[in-house]
Amino acid sequence: MSKVSILIENVTKSFSIKGNKEEVVAVEGITLSVMQSEFVALLGPSGCGKSTILRLISSLETPTEGTVNINGQLPRSMVSKHSLGVAFQDHALLPWLSVWDNIALPLDLANRPIDTNLVNSLVDLVGLRGFEKARPKQLSGGMRQRVSIARALILSPEVLLLDEPFGALDAVTRRLMNIELQRIWTLQQITTVLVTHSVEEAVFLADRIFVLSVRPGKIIREVLIPFDRPRDQLIMRSDEFHHIVDELTEALDSTE
Amino acid sequence: MLSQIFPNKNFIYGILGLTSFFIFWQIIGHFQLAGLSLPSLTDVLNFLFDPERHALFIRAIGATFQSAVMGFLAGALVGIFLASSVQILPILKNGSDRFAAVINSVPSIALGPIFLILIDREATPAGVASIHVFFIVYVSMSSGLSSASREHEDLFTIFGASRIKQFWSLNLPYSAPAIVSGLRLSWPAALIGAIIGEWFGAARGIGILIINAMQNFQINLLWSAVLLAAMMSLLFFGLMTFFERLTYQRFR
Repeated sequence: MSKVSILIENVTKSFSIKGNKEEVVAVEGITLSVMQSEFVALLGPSGCGKSTILRLISSLETPTEGTVNINGQLPRSMVSKHSLGVAFQDHALLPWLSVWDNIALPLDLANRPIDTNLVNSLVDLVGLRGFEKARPKQLSGGMRQRVSIARALILSPEVLLLDEPFGALDAVTRRLMNIELQRIWTLQQITTVLVTHSVEEAVFLADRIFVLSVRPGKIIREVLIPFDRPRDQLIMRSDEFHHIVDELTEALDSTE
Repeated sequence: MLSQIFPNKNFIYGILGLTSFFIFWQIIGHFQLAGLSLPSLTDVLNFLFDPERHALFIRAIGATFQSAVMGFLAGALVGIFLASSVQILPILKNGSDRFAAVINSVPSIALGPIFLILIDREATPAGVASIHVFFIVYVSMSSGLSSASREHEDLFTIFGASRIKQFWSLNLPYSAPAIVSGLRLSWPAALIGAIIGEWFGAARGIGILIINAMQNFQINLLWSAVLLAAMMSLLFFGLMTFFERLTYQRFR
């Protein structure tokens, strides 16, 4: 059995809102673990606090109660070791840098030498050869997310965090990007947490899915996805896939 | 046809507006509708371009331009330095914002005598100009530095970037267009500062021409000096507008 990578125990996070004495509880009593080289998806409607969990793992927030550990360390020390990779719904590329420089940026931020071969290999990995010199505003939405994913991978992170990375894309591009991410992930097998509200995306990509309820966010269901890797897009047409999607959709409907 | 030569409609409107303004001025001046104190445009231009006075005007332009540029550079440097320090050490923010606001709320006409005591008489124009420039550059750069999106800042945090790295790789490039806008807006303010500063006893300059003309009721000289100041201001302003456009293309 592989080792636990991310361990979240009894975590509650509440926020105080200005002008309001009562605190808003974003997530409550969250306990979950992610194994090394496991792909976990957090699935829930908007407002269920799934992004808050990601922010807790990435040290942007600290829990009000409970603990978050990654490979036995606090998220903050993972950050100072430059061991996290991240991609958001907003691609957050720097508009004044080329595709190549955007992918290389985390190396500079981590004070590591800019390894040309490494950057080139990531350009190839996400299929952007020929676009190295382009600026983000010259790219389509899907291509920007490819850059953003390559950037997330450049530091060879111990943990990859994906917050609705394809949320702003159209349905067709989103499906293509899911297939691409599947291919890339199979090559690298980095411990990954994906936040999404797309059931198909979660089932296609993840090994395990946690379903969250709305306000306060609580885990109401944990589902193991039985498909073997490497996965083919054909599984999206199988009866088993549809069965799991139906089951999860039903679970999501009950959260409303 | 016309739209091919002047692709920008606003440009044509600008030319039309300026032309009608000059015609209006010419008519009022020519028929002395506003009394003796508003001569016609052609009278002023004849006076301005009279070869006998070339030396006088060039000397005045040179002196004012030098003061304005020195004040511009000094004010811009201090503004950029302070705005950057505040971004790297946020604890300074409140104090530094208030300092800038207080400095700006003192009328420059009151600052003149202080500069006269603190620095050389000849440096007073540059000193007053630098105060004007400092405030505009400080404010525009501060707002540019703090305008980076939350996603960008989160990203830099998660990648473990130091504050200095974040400043150099995110906030500074992000604020480049705002800095250039600030520099553009502060140039006319630098000129005004230099001219006001000259009133406190500089040897030469546009400000001196204005004072002399006013006291001796040399109406054509007065309007010539004003026209010169306006042209100096607009030329550089136009240049910076072009530069600003380039920066926006590069950084946004």
